[in-house]
Amino acid sequence: MLWADGFQPVSPDELKLTKEPMAQGAQAIILFHQVNRDDSVRGVAHQYNYVRVKILTEEGRKYANVEIPFWKEAETIDHLNGRTIRPDGSIVSFDGKVYDKSLAKARRFGLMAKTFTLPDVEIGGIIEYFYTENFHYVYDSHWILSEELFTKHAHYELKPFRGNGFYNIGLRWTWKDLPSGPGPVEGPDHIIRMDVDNIPAFEKEDHEPPENELKARVDFTYEVDEAAKDADQFWQSVAKKLNGNVDRFVDKRKAMEQAVAQIVAPNDPAEVKLRKLYDRVQEIRNKSYEISKTEQEEKREKEKPDVNVEDVWKRGYGYGAQLTWLYLGLVRAAGFEAYGCMVSSRAEYFFNPKTMQPSKLDSNVVLVKLNGKDLYLDPGAEFTPFGMLTWSETGVQGLCLDKNGGKWVHTTLPESSESRIQRSAKLKMSETGELEGKLTITYTGLEAMYHRLDARHSSELERKKLLEDAVVGQIPFAAEAQLTNKPDWSSSEAPLVAEFDLKVPGWASSAGKRVMVPAAMFTAHEKGIFEHANRVHPIYFDYPYETADDVTVELPAGWQVASVPSAKTEDGHVVSYNLKVDGETSLHLSRTLRIDFLYLEQKYYPALRNFFQAVRTADEEQVVLQPGTATANN
Amino acid sequence: MRNKLSCSLVRRPPTTEQSPLVWLVIIVAAVGILFLSPQNAAAGDAPAWMHAQTSVSLPAYDDKTDAVLLYSETNVTVLSADKVRTRVREAYKILRPEGRSYGEVVVPFRHQQQEITSLHAWCIPPQGKDFEVKEKDAIEVSPPGVDGGELVNDVKAKLLRIPAAEPGNFVGYEFEIEERPFILQEEWNFQETIPVREAHYSIQLPQGWEFKASWLNHPDEKPVQKGDNQWEWVINDVKGIRKEPSMPPFHGVAGEMVVSFFTTGGPSPQNGYSDWRGMGNWYANLIGNRVDASDAIKQQVTALTASNRTTLAKMRSIGEFVQHDVRYVAIELGIGGWQPHSAADVFAHRYGDCKDKATLTRSMLREIGLESYHVVINTSRGSITPETPAHNGFNHVIVAIRLPDGVDDASLIATFQHPQLGRILFFDPTDSITPFGQIRGDLQANYGLLVSPAGGELIQLPQQPANTNSIHRTATLTLDPAGGLKGEVKEVRVGDRAASERWRQQTVTAEKERVKPIESLLAGSLTNFRITRATIVNLQQTDRPFGFNYSFESDGYAKNAGGLLLLRPRVIGIKARDFLETKEPRKFPVEFEGPVQDTDSFEITIPAGYKVDDIPASVDTDYSFASYHSKTETDGSVIRYKRTFEIKQLSVPVSRVEELRKFYRTIAGDERSTVVLKPADK
Repeated sequence: MLWADGFQPVSPDELKLTKEPMAQGAQAIILFHQVNRDDSVRGVAHQYNYVRVKILTEEGRKYANVEIPFWKEAETIDHLNGRTIRPDGSIVSFDGKVYDKSLAKARRFGLMAKTFTLPDVEIGGIIEYFYTENFHYVYDSHWILSEELFTKHAHYELKPFRGNGFYNIGLRWTWKDLPSGPGPVEGPDHIIRMDVDNIPAFEKEDHEPPENELKARVDFTYEVDEAAKDADQFWQSVAKKLNGNVDRFVDKRKAMEQAVAQIVAPNDPAEVKLRKLYDRVQEIRNKSYEISKTEQEEKREKEKPDVNVEDVWKRGYGYGAQLTWLYLGLVRAAGFEAYGCMVSSRAEYFFNPKTMQPSKLDSNVVLVKLNGKDLYLDPGAEFTPFGMLTWSETGVQGLCLDKNGGKWVHTTLPESSESRIQRSAKLKMSETGELEGKLTITYTGLEAMYHRLDARHSSELERKKLLEDAVVGQIPFAAEAQLTNKPDWSSSEAPLVAEFDLKVPGWASSAGKRVMVPAAMFTAHEKGIFEHANRVHPIYFDYPYETADDVTVELPAGWQVASVPSAKTEDGHVVSYNLKVDGETSLHLSRTLRIDFLYLEQKYYPALRNFFQAVRTADEEQVVLQPGTATANN
Repeated sequence: MRNKLSCSLVRRPPTTEQSPLVWLVIIVAAVGILFLSPQNAAAGDAPAWMHAQTSVSLPAYDDKTDAVLLYSETNVTVLSADKVRTRVREAYKILRPEGRSYGEVVVPFRHQQQEITSLHAWCIPPQGKDFEVKEKDAIEVSPPGVDGGELVNDVKAKLLRIPAAEPGNFVGYEFEIEERPFILQEEWNFQETIPVREAHYSIQLPQGWEFKASWLNHPDEKPVQKGDNQWEWVINDVKGIRKEPSMPPFHGVAGEMVVSFFTTGGPSPQNGYSDWRGMGNWYANLIGNRVDASDAIKQQVTALTASNRTTLAKMRSIGEFVQHDVRYVAIELGIGGWQPHSAADVFAHRYGDCKDKATLTRSMLREIGLESYHVVINTSRGSITPETPAHNGFNHVIVAIRLPDGVDDASLIATFQHPQLGRILFFDPTDSITPFGQIRGDLQANYGLLVSPAGGELIQLPQQPANTNSIHRTATLTLDPAGGLKGEVKEVRVGDRAASERWRQQTVTAEKERVKPIESLLAGSLTNFRITRATIVNLQQTDRPFGFNYSFESDGYAKNAGGLLLLRPRVIGIKARDFLETKEPRKFPVEFEGPVQDTDSFEITIPAGYKVDDIPASVDTDYSFASYHSKTETDGSVIRYKRTFEIKQLSVPVSRVEELRKFYRTIAGDERSTVVLKPADK
């Protein structure tokens, strides 16, 4: 046993505490959190958990409702006990029922929860409970320090599994964003221990990096034999192994050469060849993007699993990763220097090779050398144009595989101009201030890819609604949009072009004898961004993008433009904005907004917020119109 | 019986108001493996009743119709007062990709009371063999999470995915469920969000039993006798109900039949009713002596009220104790979905759900000599109306307190004059942010079942005056020549307008978040701002108005245009709504949450060297359901903008929705209107 059974004494200070200066306004705080894990018993693991919570507000009493989920097939929970300590120090033992809730049950799994609530909970009181999880197997474990509540003190221990006598098991651990202190330390008894104080509560914010990157944590990884200590050697070994796997899948030279001969002409320029091969691979049925099928459907379709690129090519279907490797096989057969690369998607984590976690290299792309340039391509990602990658694979580190152990590469990050929303409108304003006319929106790059992916399983009507809602949602006034063309939903390369009839009934506003109209039209997104002054986390966008608006408004006969706002330019290096209005008897509004970063440290938030405030202020600049004989009325 | 009486805490995530099975979707997403879990590969032919549907001719449905329910059959067999068996068959044709969801079968059940004895589902594709899946392929789920206070209940569901649920295919299922009913009553909800071509409902009763069928949102239909005490109703071509923003609750507009069944002599209060009076008796029977006070309760009442000199003060002390010192925790197993725990248990643990809190409140009030009653209600106004047949369509319990003579105070607003019981005050002990004497908007003008010794009675709760739910915002502001605006704002909020902000403030997890509601308010109206000071008034004192006092600065608020300064006098706050700006004709009334009366009063001092050149026209628009008045005036160097916005009626009929749209457009126009300033020397 790594832990003592029973409750630990409560100190007078804990009882007296009414607020925590480092967690002002908190509903409750964790006074003490203890995790003792014992993996040392052969094949099984036990984890003792002890939680003591101080209740600071009425709302904070909800933390007396506890639900501990667990997988029925993988673990049990026992030795559960709890109690409430009133502010005067008197103790109310937990004598209620612990409910075994079956959250989900199917033939092969059961997700259960132990659920209970502690009695007589009041503000200023303390609740505490402990329990033991018994795992049927030893797993890599994690200490996630950042909780929903501020933690005053936490103690962690892990007694690792060291092997079963026939082979040795090594343990490696890495950590990030720990509060100051020595971090995890292995004692002479080979138990890893860590004590930490004052862990802030985890907060959620808009445009934040993946949660895994924001929480303080320690990750443990078991390895057969001694745990690797040298990251370079480790990755070299991993790369060789992965390269072998890829080669076994891809190395069907003859079949690939025959396929290439069907797709490209010998005299095609190199890039044309690459594009033709890319387009051809994207035409192949991509099972990763289909609605998942039941086993019955799969069995009836009698589709065999692809074991190499020849299978993929001949059968005409494959999963996204297999299609990408097919492309690797084809370009190599076409004579290009090309490599398979395992990259780390940044959707869930930011990859760090020092952690030596191969499972985080979870996406594959192809690196092609073309005229001295590196081209990263992933035709297995549906609707991704040639020369681009799906957003989560852009700007990430990856392992370029070869038989010598590979090398680290960084995939390209497309510039904002490559993922663009271009809105062009020719509109006519009535004397009542209503705007009506034609609008064309052109989505390119990752913007087009996103829309196509979103709508890939939708009906035409739903796609129409998706586009119309996007238009209406970008205009900060009531508006109606009616799609009038049939956009190309199936292409990867061609921009997604949508044409609309647009009506904005209350575009103009009155000011006595004058009429005002705003200097920009498609501004709703920027209106609601970064409205709060405080920021905890860095700022993160999925990919750089830009919007460009070009709007022409024909004014009613006899109307004149009395004044237009002066041109505005805001250049924040990684963000920029331009607004220009001109005209006399008609109006021409042009606006561009460029977001050219993925990640900004929190310290730049005030500057970024100021930028968007300046954008909003400029967007609301007014054009003064002088009506003829009638005035706008809305 | 589908509902239970355990509404979650007010303004928490609406667990009871979600579409019925949202939590199932959540858990499926969490598990993430339902549809990846291998299913039995054995396939069988779909039954003849399903195949018969593949050849029926269908009318032309519009392109927004995702699927059509071709055939629905519900056969109820009452074996005894303790055992009811129900078989359900449904067959759909999927018309659009969005109709794929009809291939996901969801069968909810209460596991302590109901057992699913069989479950099969099929798909008939136009070509090839049929698919079949069975109960063993299903996943069984129950709602996770305890944050909202819903600790445990016995609601579960079986989820089954039908293969090849694609447009053009026919999907269908059949299940049988055995129930030990608490109430001898069934509901037939035959109208859906998609069209229904043919729906059958039959009931087989034991010898000598009788039934009473009542219809809601559909003309009465007569049954056909199909056998010995077996009756069948058939309905054809029922239109689908498309959801609209701010429409009445679905159950308030959808066609439904409620059938009560009983032995000769009528329903027993132990397990049945066929009218509201009977339902009240049934519920009173469930409450039984659970209101009785324990010694500990008596001591608590004595301690709580010792310093109170008036009955009203004592009532208030008891009410606030149950609202604040007894936390919301729902443990509902079996009949516990309807039956409260005893007041003694609730007090001892200091937790309970809405019906538990109501029971404890009544127990404590009784100790000071006051009579009170449970009121069972649905928090979605419109779910229960005077036309609704007696059935358990409720999800919440509050208390009606019989006010003794002499207890009168301006703070007692939610009162009702009952012909027999005299003046009654409604009180929600679960709602800790609505003061004693008032009820929140969604309970106002709503119908609830008053459970009194005389039985049950459906009564309409009072609608409070609009000025009991209001924001009164005043601002004193100064404009500089560059267009910068700064000054102070004072907001006084009462009613739900106060409760919603108190709720937000109570749920913040850090002190620095307290300013966020003000930031969000300003961000809705100002393109840039700095809050230089902010305080909150009466956060905890729910019997007093809640307030925000703050100062801000905004650069470039007024726009320079050709030597003019353009100033929007409506500086902050938005009343206009655009949900009616749609091409689709409105089908249902627009429902408001509660009456509202908001006022804005802003004073803006313009910079020296400028004078007013033009001001917007006044707006006076007054409908029976709402009104809006705004006026901009100048007084030397001061511009005064005043407006009032009032919601007077809680429902706007379809015939007047166009007026409501115009009303909102008028407000939108006024909110953007501009004062023009020009240099004084021009």
